[in-house]
Amino acid sequence: MAVTTGPPTGTTVDDGPDRPVRAARGSAGGGANLASHLVLALWTATVVLPFGWALIASTKTTREIFGDPWGLPETARWGNYANAWDKGVGEYLLNSVVVVTGGVLLTMLLGSMVAYVLARYEFPGNRLVYYLFAAGMMFPVFLAIVPLFYVVQNLGMLSTYRGLILVYTAYSLPFTVFFMHAFFRTLPRSIAEAAVLDGCSHTSTFFRVMLPMAKPGLLSIGVFNVLGQFNQFVLPSFLSAQKPVLAQGIATLLASQRYENDWGAMFAALAIAMLPVVIVYVVFYRQIQSGLTSGTLK
Amino acid sequence: MSLPNEHSRRVFMQRAVLASVLAAGGAGTLSACASGGSSGGASTGEGEVSADNPFGVAPDAPLDVVIFKGGYGDDYAKFHEELYKKQFADAEITHAGITDIRQQLQPRFNGGNPPDVIDNSGAEKLPISTLADTGQLSDLTALFDAESIDGGSVRDGVLPVAIEAGLYDDKPLVLNYALECYGMWYDQALFDSKGWALPETWADFMALCEEIKGAGIAPMAHQGKYPYYIQQFLMDLAVKHGGQEVAFAIDSLEPDAWKSESMVAAAEALAEVKGKGYMLDGTEGLDHIQSQTAWNEGKAAFIPCGSWLENEQKSVAPAEFVTTVAPTPLLDGAKLPYGSTRISAAEAFIVPSKAKNVAGGMEFLRIMLSKEGAAKFTELTAAPTVVKDAVGGLDLTPAAASVQALVESGGDDNWNYYYDVWYTPMDPKIQSAVAELAAGRLDATGFCDAAQKAADEAAADPTTNKRTRG
Amino acid sequence: MQHGRYRFVVGFLVVPLALYGVFVISPFVQAFYYSLTNWTGVSPEFEFVGLENFRRLADDSVFLRAIRNNVLLLVVVPVVTIALALLYAFLLNVGGRVGAAGVRGVRGSDFYKLVFFMPQVLSVPVIAVIWSVIMSPTSDGLLNSVLGVLGLEPSRFLANPDIALWCVVWVMVWGSVGFYLVLFNAAMTSIPRDVFEAALIDGAGRVATFTRITIPLLWDTIQTSWVYLAILALDAYALVAVMTAGPGGPDNSTQVIALQIASNGFQFGQAGYASAMGVVLFFATLVIAAIMLRITRREQIEY
Repeated sequence: MAVTTGPPTGTTVDDGPDRPVRAARGSAGGGANLASHLVLALWTATVVLPFGWALIASTKTTREIFGDPWGLPETARWGNYANAWDKGVGEYLLNSVVVVTGGVLLTMLLGSMVAYVLARYEFPGNRLVYYLFAAGMMFPVFLAIVPLFYVVQNLGMLSTYRGLILVYTAYSLPFTVFFMHAFFRTLPRSIAEAAVLDGCSHTSTFFRVMLPMAKPGLLSIGVFNVLGQFNQFVLPSFLSAQKPVLAQGIATLLASQRYENDWGAMFAALAIAMLPVVIVYVVFYRQIQSGLTSGTLK
Repeated sequence: MSLPNEHSRRVFMQRAVLASVLAAGGAGTLSACASGGSSGGASTGEGEVSADNPFGVAPDAPLDVVIFKGGYGDDYAKFHEELYKKQFADAEITHAGITDIRQQLQPRFNGGNPPDVIDNSGAEKLPISTLADTGQLSDLTALFDAESIDGGSVRDGVLPVAIEAGLYDDKPLVLNYALECYGMWYDQALFDSKGWALPETWADFMALCEEIKGAGIAPMAHQGKYPYYIQQFLMDLAVKHGGQEVAFAIDSLEPDAWKSESMVAAAEALAEVKGKGYMLDGTEGLDHIQSQTAWNEGKAAFIPCGSWLENEQKSVAPAEFVTTVAPTPLLDGAKLPYGSTRISAAEAFIVPSKAKNVAGGMEFLRIMLSKEGAAKFTELTAAPTVVKDAVGGLDLTPAAASVQALVESGGDDNWNYYYDVWYTPMDPKIQSAVAELAAGRLDATGFCDAAQKAADEAAADPTTNKRTRG
Repeated sequence: MQHGRYRFVVGFLVVPLALYGVFVISPFVQAFYYSLTNWTGVSPEFEFVGLENFRRLADDSVFLRAIRNNVLLLVVVPVVTIALALLYAFLLNVGGRVGAAGVRGVRGSDFYKLVFFMPQVLSVPVIAVIWSVIMSPTSDGLLNSVLGVLGLEPSRFLANPDIALWCVVWVMVWGSVGFYLVLFNAAMTSIPRDVFEAALIDGAGRVATFTRITIPLLWDTIQTSWVYLAILALDAYALVAVMTAGPGGPDNSTQVIALQIASNGFQFGQAGYASAMGVVLFFATLVIAAIMLRITRREQIEY
């Protein structure tokens, strides 16, 4: 199937009121519908309640959080947020945004270049390179972390944006290549061939023709990488101790609140870490989900 | 890793602050001793040795100080650096206050350029016994033999635990600076209002627990997610029953050290507390914050902890709560007196042997061990140090006063153990077994077997450097 | 097609490969080397000890326990996650309009997908902190008070060695289901409508349609999901480190390989030994990777 030729998801549904198949409805009518909603609502609760609780906890004192977990605070302690921000959350957030932006853009560019070449060009070593990257998906990062530290140190890139961006990119490449490789193989060959026959160079065929056609796949893997890189904390905690990113910063706060016993600020920090992501997600979730749609189906 | 993941980290992390010595007004009592003054001398390489400069510090040699910025902060070190600067005005001092000691310093050790002084503490501390075994730490014998800034030798001016806690193969390699004291903590106000008296014997303790339980309060809570705490209770019972030898045998990895009569009796006692339902419901799964908060709320009467407890809980404890430490009760036939307890020294200061300015590092430690330096530490952190008589005359909170009283009442009978820092891979296994015992999933025999197995594994491990005490 | 072909191929590969070689391949190769030494991680000096580290591993009961737990995660997490995601995808369909292959059918299905997916966008430490507080083992803990209302005994959750690992499994599954629900749901939209119409005209019920038509057509996606989830299950480090007692406890019931690597490599000053653990993990995962790639390389279904 050719995923790019269909219209975007979400526009193909719910039409044709007079289709003959309507007659077949009913076997799973209202009762099943209600049961579905019940089950789905239950899972919804498991997602919404914890986050809701955490948000409320962010306005409580430590005593209220553990002494009266279900209660509302006597007075909302918005100062928790100021405390959390002062403890570095704002700075961590900025670091994360810079690093993830750079890391994802570079990952997408390099990853799709490799994937395209591997998917569309036969050359000696093609399979070798492919497996080299594919195997990288399975590398336990822990195996490499100490030597990696010295590699980055020798390059003078510890606790720098460019160091983290390059490392994030390198560790995101395997999955990106694996994913885009599969995606490029689904694109019709004829278009690229036509472009080359029209005199396009291989490079401009890639950038002008293939990359735009691969947009749904890029979006999908892009989202995947944004999430993955944003949530990364093993790598930065070793390589960027002086310039913490957000996930790592949360861990640092988690450690430091053990000295200071301020769980209100801890939950405020969690809220600060969650809210922007959730808002971006809620705004863009159609794109995110439709990107997934087209991208993952080979 | 960055996450607070280390098994025993809890404690090291917040080896924090003995609560309580009220800093207010403390400044007036500071020793007025002047620190050395300038000491002249050549500026090439090593400086000239003099009474004021016993290690021959080169006056213009830079000093690189890295401090664990945990519960004690790092302001005290900045004060010590000022004192150093007074003595060596030309020395350029680099100060770093960080929490991830290991992550930042590991590459510097590997690269052969470690700092001159390190406070190696916290969850992310460097493995100290490995550093000791590989000869990377300076011998501090010269420091303890040197003349103290306050007169007399440095050795005479500190509590013995300061030196003993830093001994590796009979050489003092580490200076543990902050004093810590362990015991069972309770709310004096609650006990007064109920008319409860502190139990000195196990029978009295059991009777009191029954009464407390009858009053609708859990007799005991512990920080179950970190078994280290309830382990203090267990070890205290065992060592006070059998004497110091119990701890010596354990630290020396003697065969069947964990199966001694005293250890079995202590394990049975702990199992009895659990078995009779005297533990706070679910306490085996609570972390320190949750359990200590429950205790502050009067849900439990006793909780085992170290002397940092009051400070750690100050934002949580109700105003009327009177945090107080009590000694662990005695099992029948105990050899040590009721008033004795475990005393340890924390905040492990080291001078790497490959540091560029070893003499400067030693001098920095000597300054820390002056009464002026120690008093400032206590003033800033509310925690006592290993320096004797540095803070006399300060107003103490009830918690600090009770700690002080316990330290004094124990005297030479106060004890300590070191296996956890000597044999790091063994410690999580012991703690795991303690957790099982305290949760009632292992009986005393099962615990002793599991603990002994861990000790035997450490003893059989060719990479372990066995040490002995006693 | 031949003109400039190799120059193009090389030009496109050189930068990514260099990056990959420097930051990924070379550290891994070095780690293999260290696994044959007694490097402490804090000293520039170390000796070559051959396979001694690997011999010690075979006797390391905690490490073997970690392997067992990782294997359990590897099996359970993908199975449960995929089953739940398929169930919810089915439920989203069941009440919906037939004509659309059901995907947008159930009222509020957009809302459900929005909510279910949410945990996926949050970092693991955030999730771990929240759940460990929810699963507080006291009877007045959040989840226990819910159990109390339902008339159930309070659970110790992470403090009970029999269920602690299952608590970790739950949080992993909880965090992943939404992603795979959306994935499966999306896969269904791309199944041509006439397939369903034909089935329904033939009188197949919804359940039958789902099990006999939808799932087989999704098989490829399901297998891909298995790969992602297997990777997730092998890296349970962050969750375990934040949530469990010890971490890895109680009684090593939640011990995982990554945790052991971290403890040995850094806390115990046995970086060489920890590298050997990493090498074992590497070969284990290589086997899994090979099996998975073989499976997922099967012929694409054309329809």
